[in-house]
This record gives sequence, C-alpha cells and structure tokens, in this order.
Amino acid sequence: MTEELRKTYHEELESIREAIVRMAGVVGETIPRGTEAFLSGDLAEAQRIIEDDDAIDAMSVELEERCYQLLALQQPMASDLRAITTALWMNAEIERSGDLMANIAQATRRVYGSSIGPRIRGLIAQMSEEAARLVRLAVDSYAEGNSGLAVALDDIDDRLDELHLDAIAAIFESNREHAFDLQVGVQLALVCRFYERIGDHAVNMGERVRYMVDGWLPEHSGALRAQARLAEFGVLPDETS
Amino acid sequence: MTALVVALAVAAAGAVAVLVVGIRQRRLVNQHLDRISNRVSGAVAPASRTPVAAVKRLETVLEASDAERQLRGTERRYEAALEAIDMGVVVVDEDESVVYCNTSAGWYREGRHSEAVIAQKIDDLIHEATRGERFTETVTLFGPPRRVLFVSALPIIDNDELSGAIALIHDVTAVEHSNAIRRDFVSNISHELRTPIGAVSLLAETLIGEHDPDVIDSLADRLRVEAERLADTVQDLLELSRIEHGDDTEFTEVVIGDVVGGAHDRVRAAAAQNDVTIEVEMPDRDLLVRGDRRQLTSAVFNLLDNAIKFSNADGGDISVAVAQAHGHVEIEVRDSGIGIPRHDLDRIFERFYRVDRGRSRTSGGTGLGLSMVRHIAANHAGRVSVTSIEGEGATFTMELPLMPDTADNAPNPVNDQSASTAPAAPGESTAAPAAPGKSTAPAERTA
Repeated sequence: MTEELRKTYHEELESIREAIVRMAGVVGETIPRGTEAFLSGDLAEAQRIIEDDDAIDAMSVELEERCYQLLALQQPMASDLRAITTALWMNAEIERSGDLMANIAQATRRVYGSSIGPRIRGLIAQMSEEAARLVRLAVDSYAEGNSGLAVALDDIDDRLDELHLDAIAAIFESNREHAFDLQVGVQLALVCRFYERIGDHAVNMGERVRYMVDGWLPEHSGALRAQARLAEFGVLPDETS
Repeated sequence: MTALVVALAVAAAGAVAVLVVGIRQRRLVNQHLDRISNRVSGAVAPASRTPVAAVKRLETVLEASDAERQLRGTERRYEAALEAIDMGVVVVDEDESVVYCNTSAGWYREGRHSEAVIAQKIDDLIHEATRGERFTETVTLFGPPRRVLFVSALPIIDNDELSGAIALIHDVTAVEHSNAIRRDFVSNISHELRTPIGAVSLLAETLIGEHDPDVIDSLADRLRVEAERLADTVQDLLELSRIEHGDDTEFTEVVIGDVVGGAHDRVRAAAAQNDVTIEVEMPDRDLLVRGDRRQLTSAVFNLLDNAIKFSNADGGDISVAVAQAHGHVEIEVRDSGIGIPRHDLDRIFERFYRVDRGRSRTSGGTGLGLSMVRHIAANHAGRVSVTSIEGEGATFTMELPLMPDTADNAPNPVNDQSASTAPAAPGESTAAPAAPGKSTAPAERTA
C-alpha cells in the first residue's frame, strides 16, 4: 500500500518536471515567434501570441496547484522537497518570461507603421536569439539536473546584457537622427528591456536548479555580504535579530 | 489422559492444516492456470478440480501460448511497419494512456524545447479525439530550425464504442517550403514584369496629345528607362535559363584570380559612384578550377554587384578574400551594408525573391542575380552560402572544387586566416546546413 502510494508520488513528481519542460518549450517557442511578428509588423500573429499567453497562464496555475497538493499530501523532505520548491520557482520564472513576450506582442501594435532601421532590427533579432538560447539552456540544466550549466548561465547572460546596451545606444542614435518618434524609441527600448529580462529569468532558473541539485541558495552570497557589512560596523549577527 | 486428548487435538489440527494447505495449493495452481488461459483465450475456462483435467488444461494453455507467439510475431511486424513510416504514431487507450508510440513520436514526446510543444499538442489533440471526433492542426515551430508539422488525432471506434485514439505527426517542412517558393515565384515574377509594363503603358498614354517638347523628352527618357529595365529582366531570365540547362557552357582551366579580377573591373564604376571601396585579397599563387570562365566571372560580378547595392547610403567597405580550403577554393564577398533579416536568409537565392520589394526599383536589380550565382556554383559542383546579421552586413561564400593538381601541389592553405572559418558567434548564422538561419543553397530548390 505504502509502496504503491510512493510510486504514484514519484510519478507525480516526474510528471510535474515534465510539465515544467513542456511549458518552457511553449514559452521558448514564443520568443522567435513573437520576434518575427514584431519585426514584420504582423498584428494578427501578435494578437494570437497575446491570446496564447492565457493558455500559458492556465498551465502555470495548474502546475502550481499540483505542487501545493504534493507538498500538502506527501510532506516531502530533502531532495524531493527541493524538487517541488524548484518546480514552483521555475513555473513562476517561465510564466513571467511568457508575459514578457506578450508585452513584446503588444509593443508590435504600438510601433506599427514606423520604420525601424536595419541596425536596431538586427540587434533585436540577436537579443531574441540570445534570450531563447538562455531559456533553452536553463531548461536543459533543469531537465538534466546539471548544476554546472546552471551556474554558467549567469556568465552566458553577459552577451545579452551587452546586446541590450548596444541596442539602447542605437536607439539613442536613431532618435538623435530623428529616424522615428520618441514614443517609438521608448517602445523599442522597452522591447529590448523585455528580452534582457527574459535572460535574467533564465539566470534565476539556473540558480533554482543549482538549489535543487546542490542545496545552494542564491541569497547565501547576498546574506553573507550583509553580514560582513554589519560586522564592519561592529554589529554581531546575533544582535540584529 | 489430558495429555492424550491434547496430543490428539494437536494431531487433528495438524491434519486439517495439511489438508487446508493442500487444498489451498491446488486452488492456487487452478487459479494460476485460469489466469493463463484467460490471458490466452480471453474467455473464462470451466473450473477443473482433478489432476487429469488440470493436465488437459495445461495442454490447451500450451497450444494457446503457440497462438500467442504467433500473435506476438504479427504484432512485431506491425510495429516494424509503424516504425518504418516517415511519421510519428501514438496510440492511446480509452483512458488516454499511451499503449504504443513509435520512435519518431517518442522524439517529440520525450523532447524538450520545440519538441515539447508538439508533445503538448499531441496530448491536447488526443484528448479531443477521445471525445469521438477527428482533429488536425498545422503547427509551425520557429526553432531554429523552422519546421512545419501536421498533427492529427482520430478516435478508434470498435463495435460502436470508443476504444482509444491515434495521433499522427507528419513533418511537412519541405512540402511547405516548396509550396511557398512556387507561390511566391508567380507573385514575384508578375510584380517584376508588371511594374515596368504598367509604367510603359502609363507613360505612353501621357505622351499622347502632349505637345511640350521638354515634357515629351522627359517622358520619352523615362519610357526608355522602363523599357531597358524590362529588357534587363528578360535578358537575365534567358541567361538564367541557359545556365540552368547548361547550354553554351565551355569548361576550361580557369584561374580564379582572373575571374575575380574580371568581375572587379566590371563593378569599379558602380562602386565609385556609390562611394564603396572594394578590397581584394588574393593568394600568392594561381588557383585553378575547371569551369566556364564567363559564368564564373558573372557569378562573382553578381555577388559584388549585390554587395554594392545593399551597402549603406553613405558608402561602405566590401572585402573579397580568396582562399584555399580542403580541395576547394572559397571566394568570400563581405559587405558592411544593411544585412539580411534571418527570416529571409534561406530564401534569397530564389528567383525574384526580394527582402524588401519596395527597394527593387531603387536598387535597379532584376532579382535574379543571386539565383544565377547559385546555379553557376551548382553547375561547377560547388555551392554558395550566406551569413548575415541585419544592420551589420552580409558575407557570401562561393565554394568551388579546385583542379586536382592545384590541390595536390599546394598543401598549405594560403591566406587561410582571411577565410571565414572561425566558429560563428552566437546569434550569427553558422555554416552547418542544418544550423539555424543559414542557407547553404541546396541545388534546384526552385521548381
């Protein structure tokens, strides 16, 4: 009886992991799809992306509930507990990345009709590819429990950050040359920021994967720094509580 | 006395116990046989309690297991057939649990990223199909690489009852691609021919009844320009058709330096006019290919002409590098122009394909140049490929097989650094044919 229960419990854990990978697949596909709609001014496709985001939200809510159910009914411990909390985090990060692509789809409408120069278009295309690559790597690290890859995501994200800076500089330059309205410039800057944020979410996913595999918490380093600062002022950690 | 009674009671209890165990064991044997025969025949066999009956039943079971073996053989053959077809197949029972899944479908079901999208789609459609109706959907995966998949699910009805569902996954990327080429070719050629014809007829109409000699001059001049444009298109179409059919090709020993030099001379004026500088880097020694000199010069000319046309408005730099690599010569033309969107990369070698139709009139080309380059390369057992980042320029590389003695006599590659053999940075199109966004111009894609 207990063995049977345990089996379904582990099956459910595995099934949650699979659902996370699937949801990430759907969101990962939305990145090139949304970028193509944005760059080609395809309003119909942009609308479909906005609508499809509801399906992603629904998947996310269902997944969250399944995680809570496992937590409540099975009271998992150690690595199982970490697997479930990681799934909850991954779920949130993926869902948010999906929202950002829906935001880009909305921006497609706002910049519709304005001509965006090849330099900015090229940078947007590259940011999109980088963001999609980061999401793919984050999902790979999660599916494989590869903490080495998870840790590397932070450095891999540097390229996206550089592209983001280049894109902002290119937008400023185009604005100086009056290539488009300021409003369009702001929208473009936001779009670039959305891609950069997707990269950040992928890095967050990596941190959670590292926690799942090694039990390492991202806050540790920050908490240590805070402790060190307090120690500098002669406050002992105990006194702060 | 008491002891005797106790002993007797214990003995009796022992005997009963032995009997009970014996009956239980026989019942277990019977149950087991029942189970086997049920599994084999699917029918409940009459219960037998005697050893003879048990042996008879065992014989039936053995016969049945022969039938089972045969059944399994048939099953395996069907599975082999389902494996062999170029399609993903998933079969589920009425509870939507998977009872069969071929390897191809397994790729999707266990895959990540784009494959996971298909896995989700399979589950969704199967869920719909178990309600008794057939569902189909065409799914475009953006990848990269971009793929188009046709997913369908249909219910399995057995004796008017739903007993499960089948999902089929068919990769229709190639079909969709050739459909798109065919569709766009007709639309593009009509655009390219109709535009100048429309202009000619409009200008001619305006000329009628016009008396002002200045206006007549200006209209006539524009008429001439449009007529020339039309003539250019027709001329290029004929040239392309000649190249495609391999008519008039004269294969001789050709020095690549002469080909590049000849093409460079032809574009000098246009380059100067557009404020574009062209730098040519040649190897120290002659590289020989077997080919048609006129065609090869035309191919390099078209690459250069294209690079000039798509340079930025305020000029730009074009570099031509010739290098030897693995028995091939690579002619690389790199510009710093507007570049090509990823979406269009694998289509620019199609006849009349234009990234931006609006530019076709200002750039003045016929839309056939790159198509010619591709055919010329194919005629020479070579190929042409492109990498580009929009806004940062494009690099076209034509590869041609070197003549054997050239390749043998020069084992050390010359100017190898100048060739684009370095691995591409992320986001840049890479060289492998299957890699995202990279077009390697497979021969004869256009119908």
